[in-house]
Amino acid sequence: MNMRRYGRVFREFFRACLVEEMEYRSEFFGNFIASFFGVGIALLTVHIFFYQTDRLGGWTYGEVLVLLGVFNTLRGFIDFALRPNMPRLLEHVRRGTLDYILTKPVDSMFYVSFRHLVFWRLIDVALGLGVIGYGLYVERYVPSAADVLMFFVVMTASLLLIYSLWMMLMTTSFWVVRIDDLSFIFDSFFDTARFPGSMYRGAVRFVITYVLPAVLITNTPALALLGKWSMAAVLAALAVAMLFLWASRRFWRFALRFYTGAGG
Amino acid sequence: MIRKYIALLRMKYIEMLAYRLATFVWMTGAITQPLITMFVWMNIHPEESDSFVFYFMAVIFVERMTSAWDVWELDREIREGTFSNLLLRPLHPIHWAIAENIVYKWLFAVILAPVWLVGAVFWPPLRPHMTAGQAVLFLAAVVLGAALRFLLSYSCGLLAFWVTKVAAVYGVIDVISLFLSGRIAPLEMLPPALREWSEWLPFRYMISFPIEIATGAVDGGELARGFAVAAGWMAVFVAGVQWLWKAGMRKNQAVGG
Amino acid sequence: MVIRVSHLHKSFRVHRREAGWLEAARSLWRRDYRVIEAVKDVSFTIEKGEIVGFLGPNGAGKTTTMKMLAGLLHPTSGEITVGGFVPFEQKPEFKKMMSLVMGQKSQLIWDIPPMETFLVNKAIYDIDDRAFRQTLEELTELLDLAPLLDKPTRSLSLGQRMRCELAAALLHRPQVLFLDEPTIGLDVHTQENVRRFIVDYNREHETTILLTSHYMGDVAALCDRVMIINYGRLIYDGELSVLTEKLAPYKRLEVRFSRVPDMDWGEYGEVAEIEEGTVVLRVAREKAAGTAARLLERFDVRDINIEDPPLEEVITRAFQEERV
Repeated sequence: MNMRRYGRVFREFFRACLVEEMEYRSEFFGNFIASFFGVGIALLTVHIFFYQTDRLGGWTYGEVLVLLGVFNTLRGFIDFALRPNMPRLLEHVRRGTLDYILTKPVDSMFYVSFRHLVFWRLIDVALGLGVIGYGLYVERYVPSAADVLMFFVVMTASLLLIYSLWMMLMTTSFWVVRIDDLSFIFDSFFDTARFPGSMYRGAVRFVITYVLPAVLITNTPALALLGKWSMAAVLAALAVAMLFLWASRRFWRFALRFYTGAGG
Repeated sequence: MIRKYIALLRMKYIEMLAYRLATFVWMTGAITQPLITMFVWMNIHPEESDSFVFYFMAVIFVERMTSAWDVWELDREIREGTFSNLLLRPLHPIHWAIAENIVYKWLFAVILAPVWLVGAVFWPPLRPHMTAGQAVLFLAAVVLGAALRFLLSYSCGLLAFWVTKVAAVYGVIDVISLFLSGRIAPLEMLPPALREWSEWLPFRYMISFPIEIATGAVDGGELARGFAVAAGWMAVFVAGVQWLWKAGMRKNQAVGG
Repeated sequence: MVIRVSHLHKSFRVHRREAGWLEAARSLWRRDYRVIEAVKDVSFTIEKGEIVGFLGPNGAGKTTTMKMLAGLLHPTSGEITVGGFVPFEQKPEFKKMMSLVMGQKSQLIWDIPPMETFLVNKAIYDIDDRAFRQTLEELTELLDLAPLLDKPTRSLSLGQRMRCELAAALLHRPQVLFLDEPTIGLDVHTQENVRRFIVDYNREHETTILLTSHYMGDVAALCDRVMIINYGRLIYDGELSVLTEKLAPYKRLEVRFSRVPDMDWGEYGEVAEIEEGTVVLRVAREKAAGTAARLLERFDVRDINIEDPPLEEVITRAFQEERV
């Protein structure tokens, strides 16, 4: 894959969506307030839990805040680049307009997952980073350069993981065409990543740690930034991310074969 | 009127069957948040795990039974102008919404109650310890909660005659209710100030109050006071819907839909 | 007299929205309004059993007037009575004697069969079993509904849906029927079916019908009387044929030649179109026959046609006038 060319295509998507969004700029204020409100509510929730305790699954208040910040940042990225594309793919499959995309000289998986971007969601990314900063302040911990480096490495792995999981869910729309929006399935699962994985018990804990690694996605970056990383964990995160990316790619190819086979 | 309701219920039932997959997905989609919250509380107070299991399972059940989606429906109908279709016919549009609520909640009850029953057989924490009187009061409180939530949602929906983003307005109310209705935490776990607020605001009576009756957390004078407060809010909401309806009609006839 | 409208006015206050960040922020606390007069001093009466065509360009006030007649809008001033009722009071008795069909909005419930909507209407309009069965039978036959009744509405074609829409609106035997663009988007064949149905139904039941349409074919086929509204004012109310004579006092002469002579047609009439082998002339009504004879005599004419100007042309002219 020619990375420079895909960078250019992505920049074009970015520009087209920016122009589109400037049309609706009056919504900016409302969205801004909504994002602040959302973060405020999340903080209040954590505060209520810590009104009754000083540890949650072994994590302190400040550590949980860092985790919440990571969660919010990642969700901001999902809402920015991935979520807007979900209903569109369903629409393409339903109406058969996916054919147009398949004839374009761009990788189809790349196209369907990044064509539409919603910029104001980047506010959530900024707010998430803010919450991370606040959490570190509460924890009185200054990350070392190595911590920050590891944080960025595992954040990248997390984004790849999220992308792969999202893509796999989106790909099911070739078969499940009756539901308008499958993204809530992802949300249900991703919501579990808001809290320390050590908090869960039994089968739930097993599933979200090993099968659908929600815990890995948010907990590892938070731990890295708090200086509690190990090289083994970082490498494991990268390996898992690569594995899922490969799987989602295979699944997409398989679905396309099914689609062209059934459609043609 | 009964004949009209029979016809509406029948139609809404058939319509629901057409959406059965979406309905099912929608019913199950509301489960994660209470479950996660349950895990949090079990982690904070492990010794009370069983009562948290009962409480949050009850939250899932009661929340479904009292949930209200009318604000989105009304918002869409008013915005797209299809509301006129209902206005043209000689029956108040609210009856359509009431019929729809009855059908869906009946379905939820028919699915969720047996699930609970089976669960209770295999999982002792789910077994309720209620007297017959408690059970009757519990059901009465659920119906009252459903009515309160419906009226709140419907009156918010009527705001669509004036503002374009009623769903956002309702979203804010819903988030406030997240704390004050007992979905984030059993109300007794809240800081005292919030807890006191919760007793006088309507949200507690939409979810927490029936569960408190079932677990025996409220009885006697407190129970009577709870019903009185809920009835008071009921009167306020009924008056509110009526007033909003009249004003909304004036507004709609002035600017068109 | 079923419908009486006198000195009807309707004005709207619309919020003026301006572009730009600053303006958007400013409009949060200060709004500028502009008054639009949608309907100005409109008066007319319609007798029982009439079919009246209501014409006008987009935004002329047709739909606004119709919504006021159906009780959905409150007049700013003026009076309306329909069947003895004041529409905006929205009395159930009034709703039971009228129906409004909007071509672009459906009262059928989208995901379930039309029959279910009919049954709901039966209950809502208090139609008793016998009357319901009878009416449904009649409508089923007239509109050929039998194969449609138990299919989900969403799976019907536009034309099939409109037929069901009409049936749903007529089940309670309204005395007054408002049709807002009933044939919009339909193919020619279905348009014709719908028109024929409307005419037959009107004759059979003496239903008073007021109809708006973009298709002149609808108007020509259905209405003897038309009302034209433009910029909110009623500029014409009378017979369609009179309007044609008044606004288009000419005939169209379509002349086909083997080879079109290169000449000035001024002495015969005004040239409307000229193309390969054909010349279309506008000629005053009374001179049409004579001109045709002269043309036949002097040129090698293969074919000649005399016809009324198309209704579109007449109406377009009417829209340009202040008062007809």
